[in-house]
Amino acid sequence: MNIELTPVQKALQQEVREYMKTVMTPELLEETKNPEYKEGGGPEFRKQYARMGADGWIGLSWSKELGGKELSHIEQYIFTDEVVRSGFAYPFLTTEAVTPVIAANANDEVRDEVVGGVKQGKVTIAIGYSEPNAGTDLASLTTKAERDGDHWIINGQKMWTSLANYADYVWLAARTDPDASKKHKGLTMFLVPTNIEGFSLTPVHTLGVRTNATYYSDIRLPDKYRVGEVNAGWKLITGQLNIERLSLFTHGQVDSLYQDVCQWAAETPAPGGGKVIEQPWVQHNLAKIKSGLEVVKLICWKQVWTMDQGPLNMADASVAKVYSSEFFVELYRTLLEVMGQAGTIATHSPGAVLKGRIEFRWRVGAVLTFGGGTNEVQRDIIAMAGLWMPRTR
Amino acid sequence: MDFTVSEELGNVQQLAQQILGDFTEVDKLKVIDQQDERFDAELWKALAEAGLLGLDIAESQGGIDLGFYSLTTLCEEVGRTVAPVPVVEVLVGAASTLRRFGSDSQKDQWLPGIASGTTLVSAALEEYNNDDPTSPACTGNKMDGGCAISGTKICVSSANAAARILLSAQTEEGLIVVLVDPKAAGVTLHPQHVTSGETRYELVMDKVQVPTEDIVATASEARSAMTWALQATRTALSAMAVGVCDKMMRITGQYTSEREQFGRAIATFQAVSHRVADCYIDIECLRLVTQQAASLIDQGRPANDEVLTAKIW
Repeated sequence: MNIELTPVQKALQQEVREYMKTVMTPELLEETKNPEYKEGGGPEFRKQYARMGADGWIGLSWSKELGGKELSHIEQYIFTDEVVRSGFAYPFLTTEAVTPVIAANANDEVRDEVVGGVKQGKVTIAIGYSEPNAGTDLASLTTKAERDGDHWIINGQKMWTSLANYADYVWLAARTDPDASKKHKGLTMFLVPTNIEGFSLTPVHTLGVRTNATYYSDIRLPDKYRVGEVNAGWKLITGQLNIERLSLFTHGQVDSLYQDVCQWAAETPAPGGGKVIEQPWVQHNLAKIKSGLEVVKLICWKQVWTMDQGPLNMADASVAKVYSSEFFVELYRTLLEVMGQAGTIATHSPGAVLKGRIEFRWRVGAVLTFGGGTNEVQRDIIAMAGLWMPRTR
Repeated sequence: MDFTVSEELGNVQQLAQQILGDFTEVDKLKVIDQQDERFDAELWKALAEAGLLGLDIAESQGGIDLGFYSLTTLCEEVGRTVAPVPVVEVLVGAASTLRRFGSDSQKDQWLPGIASGTTLVSAALEEYNNDDPTSPACTGNKMDGGCAISGTKICVSSANAAARILLSAQTEEGLIVVLVDPKAAGVTLHPQHVTSGETRYELVMDKVQVPTEDIVATASEARSAMTWALQATRTALSAMAVGVCDKMMRITGQYTSEREQFGRAIATFQAVSHRVADCYIDIECLRLVTQQAASLIDQGRPANDEVLTAKIW
């Protein structure tokens, strides 16, 4: 039992940290002030993403055959942690979650086109699972694809298709067997190029980030864009969901907020004299967050270490998801309390504290409590897989 | 980064589970709870025979020398079974501290007896309104052939049965750590019943004479000893909490899976299962921060923040 990064792992951490400083150019920082580009997609984002591709930073976890470096999960986590910490809108879902599935299941032509494009930092992919009436119960989705010779005719609507406004493809789950009794068994995966006729979207502005509703109207999609066997889509979806969580919850992103607030509190005068940090309740808040952050770090490390040893226990994956997502929200709230009213000033307004980063994160933080598998369902999984309690109905 | 539980450690855990399980059936615990002291001498003996009292004692002193981490594993199992044995105070507070800060002759004198289960040495780290043994209110005065200790320690475990009690006092030359004989003149013990159901003792000392051979450390060395003892004790208590909580959660999961109301197991109500799931998450958190603190102490690395984090959890 030695719960620390090895010197080699620390060196990788430092290398990524230094590299990411060069990615976060002044132009990019300027560009992301535009809410349209906050989640990436602007010209400077494209430029830097492509540069990461050219410099060989994309797909480190992929097999050597695909041009990857077969990094261990621990190394991949260190990379992810640093990239997220830097603030770069790196499309993890594209590179880590979807692309490996496409690589394993697509035909040669599409694999070269899509996987090759991702590797070069030229392609991003949005995820099209949720629908207005299919969220947690994903298998009840109704967007349908009907075969027409060597094409598929796709009709339906997807919801929360984040990044679709700049993505090159949507990774789409569609029903190919209308028999309702075959809920899970009637789904097939497709890649829909976003420039295809019949594809459209409308923005959905949430409390913090822009996402999209996407529409599929009589799209004629060549069969080559089908990924995997017909009606075999479910296992491609579920295989990806676990990997998705690894990039959602990392220690660095919230640790840096905590460090910055500590520093702010140490420098900022308190109303009754002295500094903000000298007040016992402030110290109490900060200590509470510090003790929770340690767990985020350890849970992430334990998770990736376990994945390097073998398959991850379902209950443990859910523990990490529920704890981290709910702690993040608590962290934003507690740190905002320390900053007081000024903490609520948004980034573009005068007087914003720490560039309004925590104000922003506080608004968007709750998303992760239901995104990536809603926490109520995760608790069901913990009770069943962790404690062998009977299934909840 | 490595979370591997070594084979040796796995064996320790298994052995501890087996012995502790045998001695902590509900009926046996009921009998023990009727006693004045919540201490099972038979179990203590069995643990000694299995080598488990010497986990963090050198082989030359009768131990098996697997290090501090293995001791926290034992504490976790003691917690899991709420076994009536003073592992934290005797093995961690006293023995492990002596091992690291005692003189060779003190180690030779006390550790073999602790490992074999024939001698109890306890530790007293708490005072009224003071849980920091590096700045005690107890005082020590140098005298010929040793020093005289005065003051009060509280909630001392096994004080009536112990041959010595490790504690700290303030002298004019700084902090001192000594072994006090609870039978010495000037010592008064008052039983204190505490939440855990144990009988502990208020230890009142009035110019108790401690011979030079029972002075463990002075000045900065004494400070290091008490800092270490406090961190190790807190970590061991955290490990014990992991065991207690984990067991409580598992019997809750089991019970709610069997107990039926409204024609179904109450575990199938999310209001029930989600509360148990929340316990599962909390315990995993507690386990991780405890493992981190224990592994750092085990390696002799600085562990202050990590210990406090475990304590907070």
